[in-house]
Amino acid sequence: MDMNQEPQIFLNFSELLGRKIFDSAGRPVGKILDLTGNIGEIYPPVTEILLRSATDGKIVLFPWRRLAEVEGKLIADPLQPGDLRAPNLRAGELLLKDTLLDKQVVDTDGAKIRRVNDLQFLKSHKTLYLVHVDVGFHGLLRRVGLERPINFLFRVLFDYTLTDQLISWKFVQPVSSPDLLRLTVAQKRLAQLHPADLADIIEDLDIHQRAAVFRSLDIETAAETLEETDPKIQVSLIEDLDTANASDIIEEMSLSEATDLLGDLSKEKAEGILKEMEKDLAEDVKELLAHPEEKAGGLMTTSFFSFTPEHTAGEAMETIRREAEDMDLIYYLYVVDPQDHILGVLSLRELIVAAPEKALSELMDTRIVAVNIEEQKNRIAEDFAKYGMLAMPVVDEDNRLKGVILFKNLLEVVLPKLGR
Amino acid sequence: MVENLTGAFRGLWRAFIGKKYWKSLGLFFALVGPGIITSNVDNDAGGITTYSLAGSEYGLTLLWTLIPITGALIIIQEMCARMGVVSGKGLSDLIRERFGARITFYLMIVLFLTNLGNTISEFAGVAASMELFGVSKYISVPISAAIVWWLVVKGNYKSVEKVFLFACVFYLSYIISGFMGKPDWHAIGTSFLEPTIRMETGWLTMAVGVIGTTIAPWMQFYLQSSVVDKGLKAEDYQYTRMDVIIGSVTVNVVAFFIIMLCAVTLFQNGIRIESAKDAAQALAPLAGDYASWLFAFGLLNASLFAASILPISTAYTICEAFGWESSLNRKFLEAPQFYGLYSLMVFLGSGIILLPDMPLISIMYYSQVINGAILPVILIFMLLLVNDRKIMGEYTNGLAMNIVSWLTVAILTVLSLTMLAFVLFTK
Repeated sequence: MDMNQEPQIFLNFSELLGRKIFDSAGRPVGKILDLTGNIGEIYPPVTEILLRSATDGKIVLFPWRRLAEVEGKLIADPLQPGDLRAPNLRAGELLLKDTLLDKQVVDTDGAKIRRVNDLQFLKSHKTLYLVHVDVGFHGLLRRVGLERPINFLFRVLFDYTLTDQLISWKFVQPVSSPDLLRLTVAQKRLAQLHPADLADIIEDLDIHQRAAVFRSLDIETAAETLEETDPKIQVSLIEDLDTANASDIIEEMSLSEATDLLGDLSKEKAEGILKEMEKDLAEDVKELLAHPEEKAGGLMTTSFFSFTPEHTAGEAMETIRREAEDMDLIYYLYVVDPQDHILGVLSLRELIVAAPEKALSELMDTRIVAVNIEEQKNRIAEDFAKYGMLAMPVVDEDNRLKGVILFKNLLEVVLPKLGR
Repeated sequence: MVENLTGAFRGLWRAFIGKKYWKSLGLFFALVGPGIITSNVDNDAGGITTYSLAGSEYGLTLLWTLIPITGALIIIQEMCARMGVVSGKGLSDLIRERFGARITFYLMIVLFLTNLGNTISEFAGVAASMELFGVSKYISVPISAAIVWWLVVKGNYKSVEKVFLFACVFYLSYIISGFMGKPDWHAIGTSFLEPTIRMETGWLTMAVGVIGTTIAPWMQFYLQSSVVDKGLKAEDYQYTRMDVIIGSVTVNVVAFFIIMLCAVTLFQNGIRIESAKDAAQALAPLAGDYASWLFAFGLLNASLFAASILPISTAYTICEAFGWESSLNRKFLEAPQFYGLYSLMVFLGSGIILLPDMPLISIMYYSQVINGAILPVILIFMLLLVNDRKIMGEYTNGLAMNIVSWLTVAILTVLSLTMLAFVLFTK
């Protein structure tokens, strides 16, 4: 394994751990306990070796670049008095075994949580780079010391060769400590994940990792992820944040999701967050919170478009362009009189194909299907099934439009009961 | 131990006298479960057999051991629950992260074998109790295996847990049949007030057996992951502690009634039995048909209950240690190791019972032996973990708790090793 002959080779961490290092005279210097890596880089280079000294049993650091391999022996050459220093890590340095080996990591490529069985390094021009994380059964066997017998068995019995299951370090997000998340956050690994996958991963992590991962997300991703998370976990994530952060994230969520979440929080926390939120949004949420959750009023959102009948298609289009970004529902436009009585409905498709100067009163469909604000969710689900709509308007006794229920929100209520 | 106990009672007392009485009571019921369920699964087929044998062979003399056993159970389960609440991780997860791949790998193999042995004895319990009702094991075992499978794979785990919690009520059948045996309360009182230790091999082995069946290795894994699954937080810990204490006491109350019933009926009439089934049969002429049926029904319930939990708990534990996908919400192909292990446990556990000429008694016997051998290892790991500041922060054991817990573990270790030696050399 001389550097000059083979400039690039792969090395497994498990094969380095526990190996002895000698000085040039062949006297033992110490045993490798761990390696430190600079985790801020895309492929972290190994900087130092954590050694148990052979002379006094103390734990010391030794620079990796001073290590050479001669005839299969690791030689510290030449060993100088200043080489061994007290085990205080520099900024950005992490102990690889301590923080990665046997720990859980997020595989952002496969959107899964994996357990690290081994680390694979690439040795290139005397420097060791962490390039792969081994999560497979073969790596586990190597750690256990059963690699050869089991390999042999598999070959003889099944004519099958076990292979390493490696994940590129690029796609690995360590989660075992908040420091790791902070150090790697610039590389935006978690942002590669779809919020729904991120939510699944967060649900699978333990309480501390959960909080750390969630805190490392930017506000928008955090809001999107939170929408996809189980309500019980939503509550614990938000309860851990201070009200300012929590309100920033909740403002980014859709109105109905935000309302459900605030309804689940403790009263003090919810009130604190509402105070921090933008006035208009807080008002909307408060209004929605007044309705019981299992009825139409509790499922609906008030974030949608409504127009009076004299508006033209062109004017409506303008408004939609301007405000659609912040709306929960844009696919239907509801036409109401000044007292909010519902007169008609029109889909975005109909609006797009209509001549811009036409009034909405000419375009709208007056056969309205709406549910009463007191309606139970099961009945609403039946209506959705019957009429096949994306959203359903909610009205009070006087046929005044109060909100709309999105199919997506209803699905979350009804789905757990299906198929079981 | 001492500070934990007084803390728990103080918490409960405050809850009862304080203004937040109802809120606390509601919280308690929302948060209980793991401790009570774990403890009650613990009174499984093996446990009931051991208790019946203890009562019928040694009368009331072993009853008093239940008091120190309750104490030890509380100490150990309390640490487990605390680790679950504080770390948010399961026990096998913590063992893997702290002690590395090699130890975990071999530990999991042994755990798989011992849990498989336990599962076999659960299905044997099903077979035995159903035979008392006149149903052949070739009918009862496949059907119960199918029910167990269906409940866990097709049902919702949360509702399964509720079914189990309700099933705990059926352990009352042992208490009722206990009273039907018309016990002599004076003699029972005396046996507690004047505890005796008999220096004979048989008595000592039986004492260790009672301890071994009450404090089993798999319980620690199961309890800790249930606590984690519930998402309990450090603030709610006092309720979990109560849950654990109540569970540990309940399990021993049930054990008390089984031993007592067998002592006042079988022992006093000099009837020798070899299994729980014998006990149920022998009870009929002495305590009445109802007592016998209740006993058999209790055995059926206990066996089914444990047979549902052991395989799934083992699959979770092992997959967690190796980082394999483990969730009932995944499809078979997404979590092959998880479903594979689970199916293997149920299939082998029930299948082995049906093989003709299977030395069932030996299988159960050896599974108890491995149980005893692995318990000290797991307890020592637990103590190291619970004292690790990196994991537990400020929730590590206090000095008093450490003295009590190390002492308990030392005694249990000595006893387990003694039993191991007995079993291996006196066979």
